[in-house]
Amino acid sequence: MNLSGILVVSKPERMAEVVTSLAALQGIEVHQSDPASGRIIVVQEAVDIHAELEAIKRIKVLPHVIMAEMVYHYIAEDEKEYEALPPELEAAGEACSIPKDLQE
Amino acid sequence: MGLTRRDFLKTSIAASTAATVGMPLSKTAEAAVKQAEAGWQWDKAVCRFCGTGCGIMVATQGGKIVATKGDPDAPVNRGLNCVKGYFLGKIMYGADRLTQPLLRMTNGKFDKKGKFVPVSWDQALDVMVEKFMAAYKEKGPHGVAIFGSGQWTVPEGYVGAKLWKAGFRSNNIDPNARHCMASAVAAFMQTFGIDEPAGNYDDIETTDTAVLWGANMAEMHPILWSRITNRRLTHKDMVVVNLSTYGNMSSDIADIEIVFRPSGDLAIQNYIAREIVKRNAVNWDFVHKHAVFATGPYDIGYGFRPAKADQFNSAKEMEVVKNEQAHVIDKWEAIAQRKQEGEVVKQSNILGAKPAADWAISFEDFAKALEPYDLDFVTAVAKGNPDEADAEFKAKLQKLADLYCDPKRKVVSYWTMGFNQHQRGTWVNEQCYMNHLLLGKQSMPGNGAFSLTGQPSACGTAREVGTFSHRLPADMVVNVKKHRDTAEKVWKLPANTLNPAIGSHYVKIMRDLEDGTVKWAMVQVNNPWQNTSNLNHWIKAAREMDNFIVCCDAYPTVSAKVADLVLPAAMIYEKWGFYGNAERRTQCWRQQVPPPGQAKGDLWILLEMAKRIKLKDVWGEQKVPGLKEAGFEDGKLPSVLDEAMKMGYKADMSLYEALFATPDNKQSYKWPDAVAKGHANHIAETLKDGWFPEKAMFEEYRKFGSGHGHDLAPFDVYYRDDVRGLKWPVVEKEGKWTETRWRFNEDYDPYVKKGAGIEFYGNNGKSMVVGDLDKPGDGSKKVDISGKAKIYFRPYASPVEQPDKEFNLWLCTGRVLEHWHSGSMTRRVPELHRAVPAAVCWMHPKDAESRGLKRNDLIWVESRRGKVKVRVETGGRNRVPRGLVYVPWFDEGVLINKVTLDSTCPISKETDFKKCSVKVYKA
Repeated sequence: MNLSGILVVSKPERMAEVVTSLAALQGIEVHQSDPASGRIIVVQEAVDIHAELEAIKRIKVLPHVIMAEMVYHYIAEDEKEYEALPPELEAAGEACSIPKDLQE
Repeated sequence: MGLTRRDFLKTSIAASTAATVGMPLSKTAEAAVKQAEAGWQWDKAVCRFCGTGCGIMVATQGGKIVATKGDPDAPVNRGLNCVKGYFLGKIMYGADRLTQPLLRMTNGKFDKKGKFVPVSWDQALDVMVEKFMAAYKEKGPHGVAIFGSGQWTVPEGYVGAKLWKAGFRSNNIDPNARHCMASAVAAFMQTFGIDEPAGNYDDIETTDTAVLWGANMAEMHPILWSRITNRRLTHKDMVVVNLSTYGNMSSDIADIEIVFRPSGDLAIQNYIAREIVKRNAVNWDFVHKHAVFATGPYDIGYGFRPAKADQFNSAKEMEVVKNEQAHVIDKWEAIAQRKQEGEVVKQSNILGAKPAADWAISFEDFAKALEPYDLDFVTAVAKGNPDEADAEFKAKLQKLADLYCDPKRKVVSYWTMGFNQHQRGTWVNEQCYMNHLLLGKQSMPGNGAFSLTGQPSACGTAREVGTFSHRLPADMVVNVKKHRDTAEKVWKLPANTLNPAIGSHYVKIMRDLEDGTVKWAMVQVNNPWQNTSNLNHWIKAAREMDNFIVCCDAYPTVSAKVADLVLPAAMIYEKWGFYGNAERRTQCWRQQVPPPGQAKGDLWILLEMAKRIKLKDVWGEQKVPGLKEAGFEDGKLPSVLDEAMKMGYKADMSLYEALFATPDNKQSYKWPDAVAKGHANHIAETLKDGWFPEKAMFEEYRKFGSGHGHDLAPFDVYYRDDVRGLKWPVVEKEGKWTETRWRFNEDYDPYVKKGAGIEFYGNNGKSMVVGDLDKPGDGSKKVDISGKAKIYFRPYASPVEQPDKEFNLWLCTGRVLEHWHSGSMTRRVPELHRAVPAAVCWMHPKDAESRGLKRNDLIWVESRRGKVKVRVETGGRNRVPRGLVYVPWFDEGVLINKVTLDSTCPISKETDFKKCSVKVYKA
C-alpha cells in the first residue's frame, strides 16, 4: 500500500479552483487547506509507484499550482525472507569465466 | 488492513504532513497523529541519494522503519522530500538483499572459477587477507587497491584512507566521486587554492538568475529545483536559463533553453567573456583587488593509457586513441587556438603534473585570446540543434550575455555532470569562474558559480577526507612533504611512513587490473563494473586475470557478479554516519535498525581487515615502482619498523591496535555513549572493545581541518536536537559553534581579514610565474597571488571522438529521476522498478525514421568499443536534437558503459561520459 502526504502550493486567490481540480483526481483526498497561504495538504493512495509518479506530475501541471512535493511516506512492510544466494549470483558462478549476461 | 484503519492512517498522514510544513492542526487531527504514531520513535537523519543533502525524519518501531518524512527543521528541504527520498525506508528490504559472505569455491576451497558458496565471516576475511598479503608481497603497496565512494560515511572514508595510506602505505585508493566531482575539485584547487563552493543554497532565494550548465536539476536535484521553481514564480525578475546538449525537464520552466553541440560550452563561455570585455562590463575594482589572469598548455591529451595503448586496445579503438598521440587541429580548433587547420600537434603535456601547469598572463593577452570567439564563430561551433536557425541561436546567446553583464542583476551558475564529465572538465569549470570573477559576481549572496554534487558525501567524504589517490585530509596531497609531515604527526606515524608517489586513479586501477600491476582490489559502496566506461575490458580483466576482487554491497550488483568474494554490507540507517552535502553542510544520523542477517557496516569490514594485518607485514621496506622523491631511494619506501619501536609500537601489533583501537581512543571514546539516546551501534557492539569507532575517528579527523578554514564542530554538536547540519568552516564564537554561509566574504567568513571585503585566502602565500599566451616564460618573473583567484583563459578543444560516416551519432549518458546511479538500490523497490523498468535510447523521430526504426523497436547501440541492446524512445521527457542519442546508465540489463569511451579530463582524470560516437541499427 502506498500512502503519501503531499504539500500543494497554489496561488491563494485561486485556491478554491485548485482544491476542486485536486478532488477530481483519482486516489487523491484533500485534507486541509490554508486560504491565506494557498497551501493544500492532500493524501494520495496508489496501487504502485507508477500511478503515484503520474499523480504528482498531474498535480504539478494543474492550473494555478505553484509547486507540489511529497512530505510524508508511510511504509507497510511484510516480513522478508532473504534468499541464501540471490539467483543473479547463482548464475554468475556457473563454471565462470565471464558471467553469461556480461559477455560481449 | 481494514478500511477504518486505512482512513485513520490517512487522517494521521495528512495531519503529520501539515505539521511538517507548519500548518496549524485541529485537536482531532493532533489526536489522530498521536494515536497512529503511538510507540514510534522519530529521529533525524539524512537522505542517502543525491548531493542535495535533504533532512529526513525516520520513524521506527520494533526494529523496523515504519515511516519517513521530510524534516521540517532542515534548512535544505524544509519538510519536502523527492520521489527518491520516498524510498529510503524501502531500499533495504529487497528479496535479494545479501545477508552472508559468499566466496567462489570448488570442493570447499577458494577457486577463481568456482561457484559462490556461503561462508562464515571468519573464513571470508581470512581468505581475503591471505590473498591481499600475497599480492602485497609480490607487487608492493601499489599492487593492491580500493574503489571507495562518495556514499561512504565520513568515518568510513576516513578509516579507509588511514588504513590504506598510513597502514598499507598505498595511495591506490580512489572513490567513484572521481567519476562525478574530480573536475570540480581540480578547478577549485587551481582557481581558489581551496576546494568546495563559496556559496550555499540560500543563493536561490536571493538571486535574480539561475543559469544551468549541464545540470538537469528538475530530475537530478528535485528539491533544489522546487526552490528554484518557487523563486521563479514569486520573484518577478527571476530568469532561468537551461543549457544542455538536449532538451530536458529543466527546460519546462526555463525562460531560455540553449541546446549546444558537445564541447560547445567551452566556446559559449569564451563568447560571454568576450562580451564582458567588449561591453566594458569588467568589474575592474574587483578584478584588480581579487584576481590574476592566467592560462596553461593546450596540448594535454585526452587521458588515455599513456603507454602501451596499442597492446591493450583493439585496432578500432586505436582509431580514437591515436588522435591523442598525434592530434590533428580541425577547422574550429585552428580558430579557437590560433593555429593552422591540419597542423599536427604532439600532446606533450600529458604526464604527471604537466597538464595542470599554469602561469600568469596580462589582461591584454587574455583579451587577445578571447578575440576569435565572436557570435558567428561560436554559433558555428556550438549550436547543437541542426533544426534551429542560426539567428535564433545567436539571439539566445546575446540574451545570455545580457543577463551576465547586467551590473544590477545577480547571477548564479549551476552545473553538475555536464561540466565535470568532460574531456576538458577542469577548463570548463574554470571558465565559469572566469566569467563570475570578471563581473565581480562571486562569493556574495545570490551571486556565484556553484558546483553541485551527485552523491550524498562526494564533498563530505571523498573530497574533505581526501579518499583520492593523491589526497590527504583537508586539501593536503601526498606528494608535498609538508603535508605528509602534518599527516604523519596527526596519525602518530614514523617519518616517511607515507608514500609520496601518487597512486592510481579510478580508471587507472581498472587499467592496472588489466595489465596485471594490481592483483587485489576491494569495492565499497559503489559499482565499478557498471559505472566505468569501456567496460568490456574491465569485466574481462576481473574474471580472466590472476587477481582477487572483493565486493562489499547490499545487493548482487554487476561488480558482485565479477567478484571473487562478496561481503554483505549494512545500509544507511543500519549504521551511524556523517555525510557532507554540496553546500559544505556536515550532517549526521544514528543507527535506526539492525542490519539483516549477517550484514555488517563497511567500517567494521575495514577494521576487521586491519585486525588481521600486522605492522611487520607492511611497515618494512617496500617496493613502489616509479617512486621518485627527495629523501627516498628511487622505487622504494624505507622500513620504518625501527623508528616505530622507538615510538612504542611493536612489530606484532595489528593495524587495528596501532591505528584505530588505540589505548587513547578506547579511553576517550567509550561505547555506550549518552549521545546514542538508546540507539544501538552494531559495529561497536560486534567489535566488543568498548570503544565508539565513529566518534573516535570523527574527532581525530577534525584535527586535520581545524585552524585553517576547514573547521568542523565536535561530534556531539551535530547530534544535538536543535542542529540540522552545519556549513564548514564551523568556528566557536562566544561559546556557540557557528557555521559559514558565504566563504571568502568578510561579512560571513571568519577567515577573511578585516577590511578585505573579499579575500580568496586559499592562495595566500602562493605565487605564479609570468608568461605569455603560449608559454610560461623563463620563470624569472613571478607574481604574488595571495588573496587572489585566477581568471583562466581556456580555449575550445574538439572532442577526441566525433561522429563520422560509420559511427554517425553522438551518445550522451546520464540518469533518470526515479533511479539513482547504477540502480542497485532503487531497482530493488518493485514499484519504482515498474515505473522505469528498463533504460531506453532517446532518439529524434527523424533519426529513427531515416534508419527505419520506430518507438519501442529493439536496437543495437554500437561504438568502436562495444554494443548494447535497448529499446527506442522517440518521445517522453528528453527531447534530443537530430544527431544525438541519450541512454541512462542505471540499468544493468543495458550496460551502456560497454559502449562509452574511457577518455578523461587530463587534469582531473574524470571520465567524459557525455560524448562519444555510435551507430544504431535494428536488433
